[in-house]
Order: sequence, then structure tokens, then C-alpha cells
Amino acid sequence: MSRVGSSIVGTSVKRTDVIGKVTGTARYAGDVKLAGMLHGKMKRSTIAHANIRRIDASRALALPGVKAVLTHENVPRVLHYGAPHPRSISVTCDQYILDRKVRYWGEGVAAVAATSEEIAEEALDLIEVEYEPLPAVFTVEAAQAPGAPQIHETAYAGNVLFKPVVVTRGDVAQGFAEADLVIEGEYETGRPTPAYMEPNVCVCQWDNTGKLTVWVSTQAAFMVRGILAEVLGLPLTRVRVLVDHMGGGFGAKQDLFQHEFLCALLAKETRHPVRMEYTRGETFVGGRSRHPCKIWLKQGFKRDGTIVAREARTVFDSGAYGSHGPGVTIVGTTALTSLYRCENVRLEGRCVYTNAPIAGAFRGYGVVQTYYALDIQMDEAAERLGMDPVELKLKNAVREGDMAPSDHPLVGHGLEDCIRRGAAEVGWAALRQRPREQAGTLRRGWGMGCEMHGSSAYPGIKEQGNAIVKMNEDGTAVLLTGAAGLGTGAHTALAQIVAEELGLAFDAVSVVHGDTDIVPWDIGAFASHTTFMVGRAAQMAAAEVKRQLLQRAGEQLEVAAEDLEVRDGVIAVRGVAGRRITVRECMGPKLGIPAANLVGNGTYTPTKSYSFAAHFVEVQVDIATGQIDVLQVIPVHEVGKVVHPIAAAGQIEGGIQQGIGHTLTEDYVIDPATGRSLNAGFVDYKMPLSLDMPPIRTILLETAPDPGGPYGAKGIGEDPIIAIGPAIANAVHDAIGVRFRHFPITPEQVLAALKEKAGAAA
Amino acid sequence: MKRIVEVTINGERHELALEPYRSLLDVLRNDVGLTGTKKGCDVGDCGACTVLLDGKPVNSCLVLGVEVGGSEILTIEGLQRGPERLHPLQDAFMRHGAAQCGFCTPGFLMMASALLDENPAPTEEEIRFGIAGNICRCTGYTKIVAAIQAAARDKAEGKA
Repeated sequence: MSRVGSSIVGTSVKRTDVIGKVTGTARYAGDVKLAGMLHGKMKRSTIAHANIRRIDASRALALPGVKAVLTHENVPRVLHYGAPHPRSISVTCDQYILDRKVRYWGEGVAAVAATSEEIAEEALDLIEVEYEPLPAVFTVEAAQAPGAPQIHETAYAGNVLFKPVVVTRGDVAQGFAEADLVIEGEYETGRPTPAYMEPNVCVCQWDNTGKLTVWVSTQAAFMVRGILAEVLGLPLTRVRVLVDHMGGGFGAKQDLFQHEFLCALLAKETRHPVRMEYTRGETFVGGRSRHPCKIWLKQGFKRDGTIVAREARTVFDSGAYGSHGPGVTIVGTTALTSLYRCENVRLEGRCVYTNAPIAGAFRGYGVVQTYYALDIQMDEAAERLGMDPVELKLKNAVREGDMAPSDHPLVGHGLEDCIRRGAAEVGWAALRQRPREQAGTLRRGWGMGCEMHGSSAYPGIKEQGNAIVKMNEDGTAVLLTGAAGLGTGAHTALAQIVAEELGLAFDAVSVVHGDTDIVPWDIGAFASHTTFMVGRAAQMAAAEVKRQLLQRAGEQLEVAAEDLEVRDGVIAVRGVAGRRITVRECMGPKLGIPAANLVGNGTYTPTKSYSFAAHFVEVQVDIATGQIDVLQVIPVHEVGKVVHPIAAAGQIEGGIQQGIGHTLTEDYVIDPATGRSLNAGFVDYKMPLSLDMPPIRTILLETAPDPGGPYGAKGIGEDPIIAIGPAIANAVHDAIGVRFRHFPITPEQVLAALKEKAGAAA
Repeated sequence: MKRIVEVTINGERHELALEPYRSLLDVLRNDVGLTGTKKGCDVGDCGACTVLLDGKPVNSCLVLGVEVGGSEILTIEGLQRGPERLHPLQDAFMRHGAAQCGFCTPGFLMMASALLDENPAPTEEEIRFGIAGNICRCTGYTKIVAAIQAAARDKAEGKA
């Protein structure tokens, strides 16, 4: 499918990265095999909170095949940022490679390199660790209670990570005084995990010049380079990070994980390449989950539905380390300033250390939690005001010029457009009027949820997108980008943008990525910013090459460059038939004259744009079993400009799958007494499978393009996981009249709630 | 103590010396160098390591290397029909956006090819049932199901 000219952006061209994926030749970090490669394994703690009194590796070292053992006694003791964008307000500096103390069940305490995985595993059992147990806390309440054990000395106060974020707009007291209806509720969200299919893995190798090469599954190769260099005391020229393909990350693979440091150190110590791969269980235990969250939310409404006050307190459970705790808390909490307009707002968000597994960045980044609460409360408000929820949300929906959570004015009317289009698509008005279907024990209901989410991490991080575009002597072009290929199709979208800008066929643009020694610096693929920010940088770089190209063509055609245009690989004089030259002819070497060097550099530092969505959902609840099934989803997303329709829809469908999991079945559970992991595997951690997924009819809108994005395009990655949760909870209420204020909503809870409701009615 | 195992993999005969405890998945990836088959869980929960063992789909992490003596194994690397000729499922997965991160994709393709061999015209329900043992975390399965339906149609119409 070779498309040319102005039709490339907006067309589902064949993704350039997919041929390797369907033929098995795509190389992932775990596929790297080097001569003499050893295998590393980590020993993990069997206690949630303890000082290590004694650790003895002598028996492990004596095992034939064991080449090295690392413990806190022989690794560099450097306090580091385990998450990317060090020194931003989003992350904390609270981790050691290995510490004298463990802070959660399953934390790494030692690592072994051996000639086989089996020997490495055997050696782990021979490492003796004596713990001095410390009192442990597994809930935010226990962690904040007087006398609670302090988990980190670096915390802001007690176990509170950082100074709680407070956002005030207008006067909430006055707002509530003017309200005809005040609703207050407490909401609680579970601990889902990203559960990407590719377990964390890396391979490390040092060369004789003292340079470290790392093949790793990461979303943020330059952050891995930067933090490894900082902790190992190396200049950036001595660390090279390679990422070709990676098997998903969903935000969590922004962090550096313990094995990445240990693998590098084991390789150094043994002077052999070392490979370390997490088991699936370790991917849960040593990975990153979403932050469990408690939200108290109170809103005041006028009789006509106008929101006059909103007050909220959020508490995010960071687990044993800070990771993205501050960023998630700030983004999730400040999101409550928006979505539905309100002039009087007071929000307070805090983040608390516990001895639970580490929470980190995960698609939706705090907003999944807070908009779940907000949108369920809006549904409740509609009910109590005697209004239709669609009507109430439309009345209050944010719009052009409103202050976004990032404190800059919104562009367009995307949210209203999504709500209206979805309501029309499902025939919402008629659905609300209909008699509720009841077949035996089955009850059906419809619900809707809304969201907005920013592209880029501004203002928390002033990000920067970079791109280099070069043109070859045959008129083809190469894009060099640091953006990671997470699986979203980002590289294809970027190539589409370059082809569009340069007036070339899509196939004429290739992408170089995944090598920190070659490509321009990139902060990492997250915050729905790749298409928006790197896409704009690629467009700028391509525009610079185009300027040089037309200059060259102008000299050849003896016309002014300003009078030229390039389309479909042909440069022509605007408005003059016949005066033309192909890009290939223009670029090609002439007799005795070598090729030209056309290079464009694009750097873009954006503020933020917001994408919007409304999800409409039909559910079926079996009142005999408590089972909730999602029957169909109609997601409507406003994304400014669709670059690749199939890839965009794919993001939405996948986000909805994860969101359905969050809302109904997924919860990573720890023993409340010991902090031990209880369901670190795919049998006990229940994600939606093919039979569980409903039909999804995705609708993409381009009604509010952002002038900051390439051709108006905004982000799409995070949005789809946010609105689906409240849509389901609201649909369950429509079906059985029970309002749930937490997730996941389990069958047992449905049955208990129905019983309670029947008891109350009797 | 290693044992000698003779096995045909993607049409090629191999003689392998294997420790008896090693999984077929491990053998394929590390001894034969076929890394297209992925390890998502190593305990039979996710299907990423699905290969065809004498035409039947198996989780290669649950089969021991020493068990496959005399068998024919097909992996993702052998699914293609020729250097320039993809299997209709591979082509459909590309066209329909059924691969995102791609880590589950080889397993899905092997499972789906077994499904179409057994049932050339599956209903959507039969497709969803057929791939229920394979986990994908990126796509919501929508486009995977669509791609398998399209490949079945292409095969029926003799396009592939």
C-alpha cells in the first residue's frame, strides 16, 4: 500500500515494524544471545520490612558454575532516581541498587551470575540472609497512623512522600453555600498492574574500552543510559542503550528496575556478557502497579445542574518506593479541576509510602483513579437532580478557553463533541426511556463515562521532542528518532508525518531508532506525547530538509525556491505546467559531482494539548451469580487529527480491554498481614481474554485539532483506559440500581449489595 | 545426563543433545536459535510460546524437549510459505493491525493457523474460543479476531 502526497497522514499504511513481528524475526532484548553469555538471577526478600543483619554468599560462590554474587556489601551505594526524568518534581530519589534494608516482600537482596539459569537459581538458595524484622504497614491509614514505622528517611514527613499538592481556585465555601444539592462520596480503587506480555529483561556487555552496552526492554532508553551512567559513575559516552522491539510497557517500563543495575555490575565483575530476565511472577513482584487510591469527593450543584463547588482529598499508595508517586498524585489530583467546569475548587493530594509492592507509571497516570470518582459522582448527581447524565455532563463539559489542569486554556469543544456524537450513535435518549429488559436473572443497563488527558507531561516536565531527517541521493529519506517503539506504531506515524511533509511516498521514508549512540535524545515514550511532540519535531526536521531540497531544485530549474512545491516525489513550479523535476533527479549525483548532504534537525518543546473521550457501555448483570458482562462499548475519541486510523483504533480497543479488567477482575493482591504477593501469575490475576471482550465500535473525531501538534494531531495512548471504568460502574447502576464506588467490582460484592438493597427495601 | 533427540523443525531435521528437564520452548530458543517463539510466563498461562507439534498447537513451555523425538514441529519462523510469500494469517495480521507490541503475535498466529486447518470457516465465537488460551494485552482482541476472519475469507476465496 504505497500512498503518496497529502493522503499519507490519515491513511492506515502498513506499519513498518510489523513484518518482523508476524514472521518471528523482530528482535526483542530477550532474544539477544552473545558468546560467553552468563545468566543472572536475583534473590528476593521473604519479608516485607526488615534490616539485613547478615548476608553470606560463600556457599553460593562455591557452587560450580557460579561466577559472581552481588549483595549490598559489594555494590556501589548511590541513592538514585529509579524513574526517568530525574530532578523533575514527578519522581523521587529514594533507591539503592541493593540496600541494607528491605521495604517490601520480594525486594531484591542479592544477585548471582552463573553459566546457566538453573545453576543461578540453585545458587540463590545457598545465599544466607538473616533479617531483623521491622514493623510493616500495608495500607495508607496504617502508614500515617501515629507510631508507624518510617519506611524512608528521605520522605517529606513520616511516610508522606512529598509535600501534599494543594490546588485552589475560587472559593469553595461560598460555592457550597450557593448549592441546592451537595453530594459527598468516598471512592477506592484497586491495584491493577500493566501486565505487559514481555517480562522485564536485559543483556549487558562491557568492552575493553570500559564501555557498557545494554539491550533492554524500556520505554525510555536515554533515561536508562543517564541513570546507569550516574549510578555507575560513567560518562555518557561509556553507556550505550539499545532497544529494537519491546513487548509492551504501558508506562511501567519507564522506570529502571533493580536487575538492570545488577546485570551491568555482574557483567563487569565477571567480564562476560550477562542476561537477566524476570519470570512472570517477578514481573508482578518486582514490577510496577497502578497506585491504589482513596478519594473523598464533594460537589455542590445548582438545581439546573451547574456545578458550584468541588472539593476533594486523594491519597495514593506508592508502595515501598516513590517511583512516579509525586507525578501520579499531582496529575491525578489536579485533573479534578477540569473535565466538568467548576469555578470553586479545593483539592488536596498526598502520596504515602507503604510496605506494599512498588506502584509506578501506568497508562492513565492517576487520572484513571480520580475521574472514576468524578464521573460516578456526576451520574449520581444527575439521578438526584432528576436530569439525564448526558444532559448534566454536556452542561458542565469543559470547552474552548477553559483553564486546563495544566493551567493553560483548552482548545476547542472536544468533550462536548464526543458526548453528543456518542449519544446520537447509541440513541441515548430512547435508551433512557425504554423499559429495562429483564430475562430471568439477567439485568441490562447503559452507562457513559468521560475523560480528557494531556499529551506530554507539561508542566511537571518541560519535555522536548527531537528528530533528524536526512535525504539520500536517490530521493528517499531517513528519520532518526529516539522515540521508543512500544508497540503503538509510533515509528510508522512519525514516518507518515515525514513523508507527508516532504511530499514523498510513505515507502520512501525509513526510520532509525533504538540506539542511544546514534539517534537524537528522547525523554521516552510516555504521556501520550510521541505523535504530538516527536511528530511535530519530525515535521519540523522534514520541513527543513524540504527547504534545502527546494533550494537545490530551484538552482537546477533556475527558478526561485519559493515558487516550487513538492508532491508525490515530484518538484514542480507552482502554477506552471511542465517545469518539473523528480526528487530523485534533484538529489542524484551528477557526472563528477557527489551527492548533496541534506539534513534537517527538529526540536520541539510543547506545552500541552488535551484529547477527549466519551465511552458508552451496555452491561448485563446476572443477579443470581453477581457476574457483570460488558456487552458492547461505543468509544468516541477526539484526537485532533488521526494519523493512522487502524493504529489509533487499536490503542482505544486495547485501553478498553485494560479498563474492563481494572473495573471488573484485575487486582494484584498482597497478604494484609505479611505483604506477601498472593496472585503473581496470569491464572490468579484475571485479565480479560478473547471470550470476555465485547464488540467495540470506535469513533474517531477530528473536531478540535491542536495547533501545537503535527497537522493538529494530539495524543491517544492514555485516554482510552480512563472513561471505560466509570461508564461500566454507571451502567451497572442503570441495570440493578446499585452504585459502586470502587474497583474492581466483584461478583461477591454485587450479590452482597443486591442483598443489602433487598433488605433495605423490605 | 543429556539425551539425543531427533526432531524435524520447520521441515529441517535436527539432532539435539538435551538435558531431560529442559522445555521445548527453551530448546527452540536457545539450542535451535529460533527466538520468534516467545516466553511470556513459562507456565502455560499465556500462549505466547504456542507452536505446532505434529500439527497440534501446544504451549512449548509445557512440553519437554526430550519428549518430541520423531515429531514435526512448526514454529513462527516456518509459517511463511516462501521467502516472499507470507501465510494468509501473517498478511491479515499486518493489514488489520492485529500486532501491536508483537510479543504475543507468534503464539496467536500458530494457534490461529491450527484453528483454520481444523475449521476453515470459523464463526466469530469459534475464533474467540479458539484463541482463548492466548493472552494479548495491547489489542483488546478486536483486530486479532478481524484478521483471522479475513484470513479465513482469503483462503476460501483462493486469494492466498
